[in-house]
Amino acid sequence: MRFPPGSLSVFRITLLVVALLAGLSAVRYRPDVSGRVWQAGKAAWWDYQLLDLGLTGWGEAPKQPIAFSHALHAGDYGLDCLYCHSAARVSPVAHVPPVQTCMGCHARPTPNAEIKKIQTYWKNQEPIPWIRVHALPAFTRFNHKRHIRAGVACQSCHGEVQRMQRVEQVSSLKMGWCVTCHDAHQASKDCLVCHY
Amino acid sequence: MASGLDRRNFLKLLGASAAAPVVSCASKPVETIIPYVVQPEEITPGVATYYATVCQECPAGCGVVVRTREGRAVKVEGNPSHPINHGALCARGQASLQGLYNPDRIRQPLYRNEAGELTPLAWPEAEAMLAERLQKIRAEGQADQITFLAGQLPDSVYRLATQWLEALGSRRLMTYEPFGFEALRQANQVCFQQASMPAYDLAKAGFLLSLGADFLETWRSPMHYARAFSQMRGAMSSGTFVQVESRMSLTGANADEWIAIKPGREAFFALGLAHLILPNSAVPAEEKARLSQLLEPYSPERVAPVADAPVETITRLARAFVSHGPSLAIGGGITASSRQETASLIAVNLLNYIAGNIGQTVHFHAPQARPQVSSYAALLSLIDEMQRGDIPLLLLANTNPAFSLPPSAGFAEALARVPFVVSFSSFPDETTEQADLVLPDHTPLESWGDSQPEAGVYGLMQPVVQPVFETQALSETLVSVATQVDAALAESLPWKSFFEYVQASWRERHGERREPDDFDTFWRQALQQGGAWQAPEPLPVQLSSAVFETRFSEPTFDRTDEDALTFIAYPSSRYYDGRGANKPWLQELPDPLTQAVWDSWLEIHPETAERLGVAEGDLLTITSPQGSIEASAYFYAGLRRDAVAMPIGLGHSAYGRYAQGRGTNPVHLLSAQPETASGGFPWLSTTVRLARTGKRAPLVTTDGSRQQLGRGIAQAVTASTASSFISTDARADNDAHHPTDHAEHPARDMYPEVEYAEYRWGMSIDLSACIGCGACVTACYAENNIPLVGEDMVAQGREMSWLRIERYFEESQDGADAPEVRFAPMLCQHCGNAPCEPVCPVYATYHNPEGLNAQIYNRCVGTRYCANNCSYKVRRFNWSEADWPEPLNLQLNPDVTIREPGVMEKCTFCVQRIQAGKDRAKDEDRPVRDGEVTPACAQTCPTQALTFGNLQDPASRVSQRSRDPRGYKVFESLNTKPAITYLKKVRRRPPRR
Repeated sequence: MRFPPGSLSVFRITLLVVALLAGLSAVRYRPDVSGRVWQAGKAAWWDYQLLDLGLTGWGEAPKQPIAFSHALHAGDYGLDCLYCHSAARVSPVAHVPPVQTCMGCHARPTPNAEIKKIQTYWKNQEPIPWIRVHALPAFTRFNHKRHIRAGVACQSCHGEVQRMQRVEQVSSLKMGWCVTCHDAHQASKDCLVCHY
Repeated sequence: MASGLDRRNFLKLLGASAAAPVVSCASKPVETIIPYVVQPEEITPGVATYYATVCQECPAGCGVVVRTREGRAVKVEGNPSHPINHGALCARGQASLQGLYNPDRIRQPLYRNEAGELTPLAWPEAEAMLAERLQKIRAEGQADQITFLAGQLPDSVYRLATQWLEALGSRRLMTYEPFGFEALRQANQVCFQQASMPAYDLAKAGFLLSLGADFLETWRSPMHYARAFSQMRGAMSSGTFVQVESRMSLTGANADEWIAIKPGREAFFALGLAHLILPNSAVPAEEKARLSQLLEPYSPERVAPVADAPVETITRLARAFVSHGPSLAIGGGITASSRQETASLIAVNLLNYIAGNIGQTVHFHAPQARPQVSSYAALLSLIDEMQRGDIPLLLLANTNPAFSLPPSAGFAEALARVPFVVSFSSFPDETTEQADLVLPDHTPLESWGDSQPEAGVYGLMQPVVQPVFETQALSETLVSVATQVDAALAESLPWKSFFEYVQASWRERHGERREPDDFDTFWRQALQQGGAWQAPEPLPVQLSSAVFETRFSEPTFDRTDEDALTFIAYPSSRYYDGRGANKPWLQELPDPLTQAVWDSWLEIHPETAERLGVAEGDLLTITSPQGSIEASAYFYAGLRRDAVAMPIGLGHSAYGRYAQGRGTNPVHLLSAQPETASGGFPWLSTTVRLARTGKRAPLVTTDGSRQQLGRGIAQAVTASTASSFISTDARADNDAHHPTDHAEHPARDMYPEVEYAEYRWGMSIDLSACIGCGACVTACYAENNIPLVGEDMVAQGREMSWLRIERYFEESQDGADAPEVRFAPMLCQHCGNAPCEPVCPVYATYHNPEGLNAQIYNRCVGTRYCANNCSYKVRRFNWSEADWPEPLNLQLNPDVTIREPGVMEKCTFCVQRIQAGKDRAKDEDRPVRDGEVTPACAQTCPTQALTFGNLQDPASRVSQRSRDPRGYKVFESLNTKPAITYLKKVRRRPPRR
């Protein structure tokens, strides 16, 4: 049986409409500041649709409160990713470094306006409100430690961060994308590895 | 298609109109990541940090370990190295987390303004207000009348408060506990010149007789005794336990024999036994003669009608008491605290003394440094002074007399006559509502402190999180106020902080103990372990001659009329004296015996009810000479026909959203007149009359039925059968005798047998050990972010518990009047052949390669087919959105997804812990060790009834226990092949002849 041209996309759109209508009354998760505690908010189906359309931040490079350049630090200076994101080695979470870590190198007076911003945060003992680039849905557990210890390079998922002035999401972070890699490396595909 | 719009274009248009909002909303909400400014050294984001401290939910002083994540406390568990609870923790202890993050906590100081309302105030002003008041009182020369009334405080806080008061010129620090065990101390004073509470060695006893002591629920140290009890009466040990009381408590439900005597006549029952045992006793001859004279009137024939127990029972128990190795008699529960309680406990002491148990199973120790609790009578005289206006200032901490005392004690009126009342409570309880100034203290999980709950055990409390609100440690407030009163006062309290004060007292302890290590090492170890302990020196005691002065008589009751029913107010294993009522975990935890939630009830024997024409669920008016209350009738056969019973703990008129207006407070019916001998509060002192209101208020319970109806869920064997398993050498050849072989038929399998590789997770549940306390249920709620649904939803059968305790009443086998109670923890059986799996249309539930019956929330579309097909009713559907009012959400476990409405959820065997265990094992390149992964339920079980592990490893503990000849699977005939093996309860009856 042959489908008339365009019928598949019509079918898809219909599905989307149904899903959207169903989703209007549903819920979604909202992370709080610690990043892993999830609170029920309004709308999960909505999230699923956004995921499907690849709109979770894929291809976006948000403007950060400080114009921190990974290209300079990780690229030109060749700093190891784990120097700042040290928790990735020992924890499921690859944390964003505390302001203290920045101050380890940037304590000296400087004319650089961006570095001055760090020093201001430090002086006020305030955290830097970085904009999240990579986010997973609340029902997904990802363990950085396991991937690092298995020898997966940070770049395999996060892209060539050492060339990015502003970090953007280059992988879809969708389940199919995860599974493709797990498949290729004979890693577990049991749902309970990531969903519990 | 007259309009020219064909189907395809219609759909396209519809699609376009729907796509438009999608595109316009496509820019997702901005999320920020807030890192630390300075990351604390001990914190790695994403990794839990553990702190040891001491539970303060009751005076037992169990050691706890609190799991924290990024500075939030997410779970409270028992401290495995603590000598009191050995890793176990009751539901109340676990719910201390909901005290810390209670949404109704008092968040800053409050004072009573001109309009009479409590209004927020800043700390400096609040402290100044108290300092000013103290200066005024000192100037008026009334400083010696300043009174501090507190519940059991951490010892160091108590010492500091004493010093603070003394510096002000007052010695009036009174500690009051509603369950104060005054009579127990008084009886020991009379018998052995020791006004203290001895240590009871339950584990060593071959025969345990409890006269009303609910030692598995609230009596003294439930976790400690539960563990000892399981050692004494486990399936393979030979101990026998007999409970004598008027209303079957949870403890009584676990007894081998339960004897219902007339309320308050424990003394006579014990004396009857002592009378029979004395002739063969090894006590010195001279003492024997005097004892014989004392016991002469209490022959079984004489005491039997008084206690309303058969002579045969008394003689049989007397024989059993001395023929099972060391025996032990205990007493002093709340339900037995009549106006003759001290005499009862003297009788119990005599029984122990005559049987030679003192020094064997009853150990006295040198008096502890721990402050003694004042008696209820002392509190009454304080109320008198307050009434007369002699108390210029009353400070209240950790106590709620306005709730726990009967109205006729006059506390509320007396409190109104105290010119200035300061409360240090962190919760808006009934007493604090009447205060003029509230200086909220930290909760125990935010505080430093130490305590000595038992001889030789020094618990050390440390804050596990930063204070949640603008509260201030009581001790710090006292010192800070002192510096504002005058400089001389400040000098007498020279510590910079309370931490320093605690450390100083540990420095002394370090000196006393002659530790090999230096102080820093000692201190660090104490912080890590949660304290320091050593075996205490036993103190030899002799029978005091004062005991021969004792006169035993029947207790008096306040009577309404002659055939009135005795009113038994019993302590709740969930709310203790009422302090647990503001914690929703405890409210939603079903009562172990009635399975009721969020409410109180009146227990009545079905025959009594029939006589009075009362139907179950009828709302009754209960009237005593002191007053009347209303409650719903619940039929309970474990109760004497001449009594009714009601749990203590609910009926709050304040105390936050979870407690206020729920249930009724039985204390309103009780008389305020203390027991003469000890000054204790007589909880058993009144009779009541019942009247129907004509209204119905059926109790909301979670049980489907009270009987098993032949389903064989909770099975039992008699002790002789259990031992014959062993004697026929079934242990060596388990498979041949394994009953499951006969029921599971591979021929009936629709799908091929699942092959497991390295792991097959499974559990064994020993019903002989399970006491039905429900600690595992609360542990499950805490670990897995299980939503609380409230009474209305439970009434619709929508409770969310992944693990519940099934409670069944059995017809007694041997004609005894008492029902036999069986408990069976019921959770997902992780069936090898699960009925739920093939019916899921979206593959959201499936069998994982390690034998887990997985539920993937994000796949689930909520058809509920799986729940309908589950034979065990362990799958739960999210009917509504979970509600964790701030800051209760901070206790949520970040390792477990919060489920959205419309999806199923169920027990995962704590898969997050399995994953963490495998993660650790992988780091070290080894398989998971046996015992390395423990689900929350098994971790907290005080009797270690639950064992979890890998069934693929034949040497694992769970494999061994699953091969036990007592093992069976629930609904084996359904061929579901559960991963959970239940071990039949061993029923043991004292020999009849």
